[in-house]
Amino acid sequence: MPPGIELEVCELTKRYSPQVSVGPISFEVQQGEFFSLLGPSGCGKTTTLRCIAGFETLTGGSIRLHGERLEDKPPHRRDVGLVFQNYALFPHLTVFDNIAFGLRLRRLGKAEIADRVGGVLQLVDLAGMAARFPAQLSGGQQQRVAIARSLVLEPRILMFDEPLSNLDFKLRIQMREELRNLQRRLGKTSIYVTHDQTEALALSDRIAVLSHGRIEQIGTPAGIYERPATAFVAQFIGSSNMLRGRIVERGEAGTIVATETGLRLCCGPEPGGEIETAEVSILLRPERIQLEAPGGTAMPGQNRVSARIADVTYLGEDLHLSLDLAGGERLRASVKNANAARGWAPTQSVELVVAAADLRLLSG
Amino acid sequence: MSAQSPRLLLPFVVTVYLGLLAPLVVVIAVSFGPSSAFEFPPRGVTLHWFEAFFASPAFVTAFFRVSLVVGLLAAALATVLGTSAALGLVRFRFFGREAVETFFLAPLLVPEILLGAALYLFYARLAIQASIWTLLCGHLVICTPYVIRSVTAGLVGLDPRLEEAAMSLGATRVQAFFKVTLPLLRSSLVSGAIFAFIISFSDINLALFLSGPQSTSLPVHIFSEIQWQGDPTIAAASSMQIVIIGLLILVVQRIFRLRLVV
Amino acid sequence: MDLGRTRPIWAFLTGPYALFLLVLLLVPFANIAMYSVHPYSPTKVFLPDLTFDNYLKIFDLYYVRLFGRTLRLGLITTAVCVVLGYPLSYWLARARPRWQAVGLFLLIMPLMVSAVIRIFGWIVILGRKGLVNQALVALGLEPVKLLYSETAVVIGLVNIFVPFMVLPIMASIERISPSLEEAAQNLGADWYRMFRRVILPLSLPGLISGCLLVYSLSISAFVTPALMGNPRERMAGQQIYDEVLVSFNWPGASSLSLALVLVTAALMFGALFATRYAGRREKPS
Repeated sequence: MPPGIELEVCELTKRYSPQVSVGPISFEVQQGEFFSLLGPSGCGKTTTLRCIAGFETLTGGSIRLHGERLEDKPPHRRDVGLVFQNYALFPHLTVFDNIAFGLRLRRLGKAEIADRVGGVLQLVDLAGMAARFPAQLSGGQQQRVAIARSLVLEPRILMFDEPLSNLDFKLRIQMREELRNLQRRLGKTSIYVTHDQTEALALSDRIAVLSHGRIEQIGTPAGIYERPATAFVAQFIGSSNMLRGRIVERGEAGTIVATETGLRLCCGPEPGGEIETAEVSILLRPERIQLEAPGGTAMPGQNRVSARIADVTYLGEDLHLSLDLAGGERLRASVKNANAARGWAPTQSVELVVAAADLRLLSG
Repeated sequence: MSAQSPRLLLPFVVTVYLGLLAPLVVVIAVSFGPSSAFEFPPRGVTLHWFEAFFASPAFVTAFFRVSLVVGLLAAALATVLGTSAALGLVRFRFFGREAVETFFLAPLLVPEILLGAALYLFYARLAIQASIWTLLCGHLVICTPYVIRSVTAGLVGLDPRLEEAAMSLGATRVQAFFKVTLPLLRSSLVSGAIFAFIISFSDINLALFLSGPQSTSLPVHIFSEIQWQGDPTIAAASSMQIVIIGLLILVVQRIFRLRLVV
Repeated sequence: MDLGRTRPIWAFLTGPYALFLLVLLLVPFANIAMYSVHPYSPTKVFLPDLTFDNYLKIFDLYYVRLFGRTLRLGLITTAVCVVLGYPLSYWLARARPRWQAVGLFLLIMPLMVSAVIRIFGWIVILGRKGLVNQALVALGLEPVKLLYSETAVVIGLVNIFVPFMVLPIMASIERISPSLEEAAQNLGADWYRMFRRVILPLSLPGLISGCLLVYSLSISAFVTPALMGNPRERMAGQQIYDEVLVSFNWPGASSLSLALVLVTAALMFGALFATRYAGRREKPS
């Protein structure tokens, strides 16, 4: 295995029934990387996690941890730590005993155990809580104990199963930052499963977006956001306007696409080379639309389209506008609440300015 | 199963189940066998012992005129008594309610053989002869708690506001109960009644003390036949009881969660 | 609903059964309490003097042996039920719903069939010409006398009381989240160590409850030892039956019964307490 790769998942498949299956899924996780599996419920991210942990057996494919095949090993012999969604703290044991659980199984000496438990308690900022029981702790504290319990065993990789979903909003943000700081400090390779795209974007070095048991795209947060590879990714991460059209011409400034309603747009790069099909989808992020008063001229590499404001939603920091195009399409735009934007109101005619680079093309 | 169980678990469990069910299987098999020497496995299939059962006045009386009658009466009366008691316990607050609830379930804590002895001595003191009625009363003591538990569980799951809604639409308290609550309690009532019947029908410990010459229940008759080295007519009688009770339990399991009542 | 303030409806509802129990439960036991403090007479049922003789006689050698045997067999039965029943409880608790339903049915159904019938089955299996001996003879071995011994009694009692051990333990284990088992395995415990360190301590209330239940049922058993045991080595239940219906020593039977009732009641309350305690101790994590 090439140096630097901690975990390699190759064509992982899990078949529950002829109709329900996950995979084949393939990805690699680098040493020290924070890697997220992101997707809606039922997409297969938790199944993948459980396969790596050993609680589900693979129907096909392989998993290698630092070169060693993992799928034949029983769950208690894999060197992966798992932080459960409901923390799974042992209610009959104190915080100390919970954390020491794995150490005691490895028959370490009392002094060493006390040492290591104390050390990891410091790390997660829970020094002094050693004698408490899980029922006496808050949600955030319980989660830190769960993390400490896995960390103290110094596993090769640490996995998280939607750990923040049980916390309330503010606590979630706080724990998210703590988690990121902790991971950066320790440099521990981490795999994180979540359905919350904000979380994934904020925490990860790289994200794998899953849907219906397959990986849609793997990339950095910026990469996935700016250059979604499929319509699903474009609409799951952030929001996106979508138009349909046909490629008419390919030029230096960009690719010209014509919609059914007669709109001609100069669009930006096609991901992964030229698209084969003539039919394409055009993706446009709402915040990439600039609004101007009618009457301006289009620069090269720029599109100007007339539209009428249908609705304005005031959100304090932002304004969300619904715009109707001449051909009947409805677009959504998101602008900052400043200056000229304050004047926009329904029934006004405006011109939309969109850079060609902001119109991404996908086949189909 | 989420966790990986040891491979030996299932074989062990199956073995234990086989051990638990072995006597029943053997009894049923023997009842169809031709030999009068309790052979297993039986060498042939015959209904001879079942015919013998129906031809024996002692067995027939015990089954139909004692056990069945007492069982049905016990089921009916226990249901009435128990439902009314459960209603009082669940829907009302009064001083000492928890104590009364424990008192009502106390018969479950008393060893049956001792209850039988106590009742026997009680009846003897009052010079009351053993009859179907003395047996019935004894059975009511141990059957009603099952109805109470079943109906209590059902009531606790019912929203009391349903009755209030009925009353706001013009029904009286009593009408609301009979038209709204009672139908919703149907499954609890039925399973409670069935359990009461089963407890009464298969009771041996109380019946040993409370049976009389005219009121010998089926289990008691089987008991004495075993002691006097009877023939496989015993097996035939037993098989019938096994089948009846098995079917009743299946019915209960379909309409209610089994272990709440045990 | 608080109409209890205007008319004591609760009294009308709970009254009938309360009255019934008063007459058919409390009074009979008060009756035997009364019998127990009067001396025995073969001619009259009892004499009007008061005495503690009936209780003192419990300390006679015969009765000491009797109780000792009863308590000992109860203990053995309970222990065997634990060994056989615990794995069954775990399997049932973790089984998929359809299998759990089947398992519960097969567990509870024999319970509801009269004990006599099950014992009859065992007599056929263990008798001199029974199943076991037929197999031994077929293998060329000597037939063994299995019936009418303590072993047979224990077999019979275990067969009848295992469900009472399984159900409370199963309820306890069901309350343990499967994620705790997975967490333990993830931390390095194989199934056995996980069972010992997580399942066992957390299902202790169910275990205690089951043990107390089975024990109190075993020591008051009658039909099983009567039909399968050595007639010269009785258990308490048989003694009571004999003294009531055969020798008509009602005072003696009464004191024995009360002694047994007290022991059983104490055990049963312990079991009740253990199950209540279980609910309070665990909080979902």
